[in-house]
Amino acid sequence: MRSKFRLVAELVGPLAAVAIVTVFGSTMSIAQQGNVTNILVTTTIVVALYVFTGNSGVMSFGQISFVAVGAFAAGILTAPTLTRQANMPSLFKFLSTTQISNFDSLLLGAGLGALFAFLVGVVLLRLSGLSAGIATFAVLEITYDVLSYWDKIGPGVMPVVLVPVTTTLVMGALGLGVAIVVAFAYQRTRSCRLLRATREDAVAAQGIGISIFQHRLIAFTISGAIAGFAGALFVHELGSISTGQVYIDLTFATLAMLVVGGTGSLWGAVLGGIALGVLESFLSNAENGVAIGSWHVTLPNGLSVVIVGVIMVVVLIFAPKGISGSHEFLERFFSHRPAKAGTGTEPESTAKMTDEESSEVPLSPRPTS
Amino acid sequence: MIPLLRLDNLQVTYGRVVAVKNVTLEVNEGEAVCLVGPNGAGKSSTLLAVMGAVRSRGDVFLRGTSTRGLQPEALAHLGVAMVPEGRHLFDTMSVKDNLVLGTLARRRGRTPRIDERWVAELFPIIGEFASRRAGLLSGGQQQLVAIARALLSDPDLLLLDEPSLGLAPVAVDAVFEALERIRAVGVAILLVEQRAQRATDFCERGYVLSDGEIRLEVTEGTSEDPESLMAAYFGR
Repeated sequence: MRSKFRLVAELVGPLAAVAIVTVFGSTMSIAQQGNVTNILVTTTIVVALYVFTGNSGVMSFGQISFVAVGAFAAGILTAPTLTRQANMPSLFKFLSTTQISNFDSLLLGAGLGALFAFLVGVVLLRLSGLSAGIATFAVLEITYDVLSYWDKIGPGVMPVVLVPVTTTLVMGALGLGVAIVVAFAYQRTRSCRLLRATREDAVAAQGIGISIFQHRLIAFTISGAIAGFAGALFVHELGSISTGQVYIDLTFATLAMLVVGGTGSLWGAVLGGIALGVLESFLSNAENGVAIGSWHVTLPNGLSVVIVGVIMVVVLIFAPKGISGSHEFLERFFSHRPAKAGTGTEPESTAKMTDEESSEVPLSPRPTS
Repeated sequence: MIPLLRLDNLQVTYGRVVAVKNVTLEVNEGEAVCLVGPNGAGKSSTLLAVMGAVRSRGDVFLRGTSTRGLQPEALAHLGVAMVPEGRHLFDTMSVKDNLVLGTLARRRGRTPRIDERWVAELFPIIGEFASRRAGLLSGGQQQLVAIARALLSDPDLLLLDEPSLGLAPVAVDAVFEALERIRAVGVAILLVEQRAQRATDFCERGYVLSDGEIRLEVTEGTSEDPESLMAAYFGR
């Protein structure tokens, strides 16, 4: 029972947070709604990061490449063909003439993101630790350069423009909701459990027969799919896309959100995305002047970035596991209760497998005498 | 007879440092063999190389087949289990979950010689702390769990890296009692120890390793001359 509730909370908590943000957003002006939509889309990217980094414990700076691929593919193939022929004359023929629906472009983004991530993962995921992190960063650089200069697959240094704007507030919320459900469902799989074991102790995990490479690759591919999907949402939110928008700034913004929220939990990823997103958009509004009651404040330009940076440092010092403590929603509330009469000696049982599941395996190491 | 494990001119280097120079040894089915030697002799590196966890040169044969290029998880699925130095339990998981994970590499299509019941009888004490977090156990308790976890894969060969390290004498006794019973069901053991006397008493055969090379092979029955053992141990 207890772990059922915990499980429901694990999924409902993040979804409820998204619903609350969306309801609040819908009461705001159109301009502010755009900001809220942006927060939802960015949080979708954070969820993508979490699926890999959170479960594997390996930092990746390359996930924005998959966002970029999803965004450019969805943007180019949904922009009017006449615009494409005018702005991007060197495109491959099929890219310049194929027209797909906006919905299909979301699926295409997810598919391409997954494919790209899989190919990158096959090459890179045998590395570990720092070298893996740097190698993923190299992938981001390569993607950026190819998209910026190869005018047969994109607009080169120019932005893709006149992309239909369909990611409204509600669509953004639905998109994020889908990402959360996928991340949650993945978390329930055997492969993810094993991946978490490798995160905890790689030596022991390999020793008992877990393939680190295989399970990291699965997580990386799913993360790539969510990232590509988020990229497609992103381009339909903005109506245009240029390579600079899916590059280092977005990489660090989303990593900051994940770290502040808490790398180790889905709840942390969603919380971090929303909290930092709200703060950033409030601060950038304040740079243009906001009224707090009768008090009119105008922050100096650029201060919002500084404040976000300071918050990140403060969180890293005082709460290295993020504001969620890397716990799932209400996880501590449920796990503080004793498991069974007589065995409740565990105040903080954060075991990755709950009692319920492990007891399915007929292991009963009890004294037989 | 083809030995279960055969190392042929095994070499392990870390950068410029040569940890294992030239090790050739055999472990037969069901046999307990120890590898003793001082700190830095290359004992752990040898075990890690067998498991495929470090790069090595030379050959490792398991049942006559080279294991070149295999990752540790592949060896686990071929019936090799390792109890690494420092135990390496999943600290935030319960003891029970640690043990469940141990059954992952069990080979399909055969009745396990060692199953949950056998392990529960071997270590009845584990039942008392099965629901606790592994990281909260004492060193001796952790060592028993680490051995139990390795056994649950039903291995043919158990590699043990300093299982007595840091344990109280009574805990060391418990470990060796367990090893005795594990050997009795036919699991071959390759035991790395600094405590030469204890290890050589337990095993049928032993090798003394010093500076990455085998200095002496000790066989049961041959009257061990303690002085030559000491000399080999300290590389004199």
